Amino acid sequence: MPMFVGIVAGGVVATVLVLVGLFKLMWRVAEPNEALIISGSKHRTEGLEPGMGFRIVTGRGTLVLPGMQAVRKLSLDLNQTELAVECVTFQGIPLKIRGVVIFKVGDDFVSIANAARRFLDQQKRVSERVHNVFAGHLRSIVGGLTVEDMIRDREKLTGQTRAACGTEMEKLGLIVDSLQIHEIEDPTGYIKNLAMPHAAAVQRDARIAQAEANRLATQAEQQAAARMAEATRDSEILQAGYQAERDKAAAEAKQAGPLAEAGARQEVVVQETRVAELEASRREQQLQADVRKPADAKAYEKRTLAEAERDARISAAQAKAQETELAAAAEATATRATGEAEAEARKAKGLAAAEASRAKGLAEAEGIKARAAALAENQEAVIAQQLAERWPEIVEAGASAFGNVDNMVVLNGADGMADMLAKALTMGGAGLGLARQMLSSMNNQNGEVNGQVNGQVKREIQKETSP
Amino acid sequence: MTMDDDVSVVGLMGRVTGAVGPGLVGEVIVRVRGGAEHFLAYPAAAKESISPGTLVTVLEYQPPRTVYVSAAYDS
Repeated sequence: MPMFVGIVAGGVVATVLVLVGLFKLMWRVAEPNEALIISGSKHRTEGLEPGMGFRIVTGRGTLVLPGMQAVRKLSLDLNQTELAVECVTFQGIPLKIRGVVIFKVGDDFVSIANAARRFLDQQKRVSERVHNVFAGHLRSIVGGLTVEDMIRDREKLTGQTRAACGTEMEKLGLIVDSLQIHEIEDPTGYIKNLAMPHAAAVQRDARIAQAEANRLATQAEQQAAARMAEATRDSEILQAGYQAERDKAAAEAKQAGPLAEAGARQEVVVQETRVAELEASRREQQLQADVRKPADAKAYEKRTLAEAERDARISAAQAKAQETELAAAAEATATRATGEAEAEARKAKGLAAAEASRAKGLAEAEGIKARAAALAENQEAVIAQQLAERWPEIVEAGASAFGNVDNMVVLNGADGMADMLAKALTMGGAGLGLARQMLSSMNNQNGEVNGQVNGQVKREIQKETSP
Repeated sequence: MTMDDDVSVVGLMGRVTGAVGPGLVGEVIVRVRGGAEHFLAYPAAAKESISPGTLVTVLEYQPPRTVYVSAAYDS
């Protein structure tokens, strides 16, 4: 019995295991990135179109009859293909374009069906096919563009690529996720040359900026250097000042010792001097006490004595002087009396003489007046008379010239003597002639003057003739 | 496995990623099947020109991956 139960249990377990195994064989699950293409048996209205002949399962499991149906997997994964195409642009410039196309099988059943029909056995070679498609189309697209368009207007490139390849890829059941141009090789250097003006401009700007920056930097450096120099100068000046102060202080400190010594010595000398002075003073005082005081006393004695003597003499002299004065006064009084008397006498005498002279003068004046009157009447006669009256005097005067002669030798004898005398006398005659001449010349003038002149002339004649 | 498996994109909203216009092959991206897929797009009205970034409505679906669109809002 237990054996039977064991067999039954084993059978059940085996059956279950077999069933599980069969189910495992029959049940297929499509993963998210793949589509199951099931073909073979007659199936219900599955698939999209009648007559498609196979069904497509995505994203779920399905029951497949082994042996009756074939199950193939179509990958929906992303694929990429590298592009390296040599092409010529619209301007005839050869370019080598490197790029990448990223594509996948479309997710809709139509695309899956198209792709399944074309690539199910050639899934590894899809890239190659796509490359060929794109290479051809890219050549034609680039042929319709210029280099500038390709460089600057990527949207135009992708748009034209989409226009050319999109429908083509639709036929293959593929969709292009991305077309990227990595590199445009340019063997002729067209792009480089295209960029050159801009590059040159940029380089120029860069150099200008660099130069400006250098200039500014140099300026700043030089300013900084100048400031540094200034600071250095200031610092050196300050240092020199401090050094000078230090030196001064050091010198002062160095001299402080000798200075103090000198000060001390000076003090000593001062004290010694004072001592000497004091000694001198003491000595002087002593000398004064010893010598001068006695001398002074002696001198005083002598002086007092001399003064006394002098006073005595003065008194004596004064007495004598007074005596003399009195005597003189008495004499003077006597003399004055005598003088006065004499003066009175003289005065009286003088007055008498004056009266006499006056009388005489008046008489003479009368005489002159009378003579003048006569002269006015007859000059010649008066003069002649006068000469005649005074002739002896005239001759005497002429002879007086010889009076002083000690010894006279007369060479011509007695005649010579007479001749000489005659000459002397003619001198008086010549004077008469002269007087006459003068009178005649003066006579021409007025009569008043004449009288005076005649008087004068007469006096002159008198003077001449008088000895 | 029914016809509903492959959902239609007609009536869905999409965004233009490549300019749509006469003589151009445009591109729109549309939310469909739980993800976002792009489709080649042509203007539904012959003279319409739609620049990238514009919201569009899919009016027609031409399998496998072509749609005809029109701007969702009149600008």
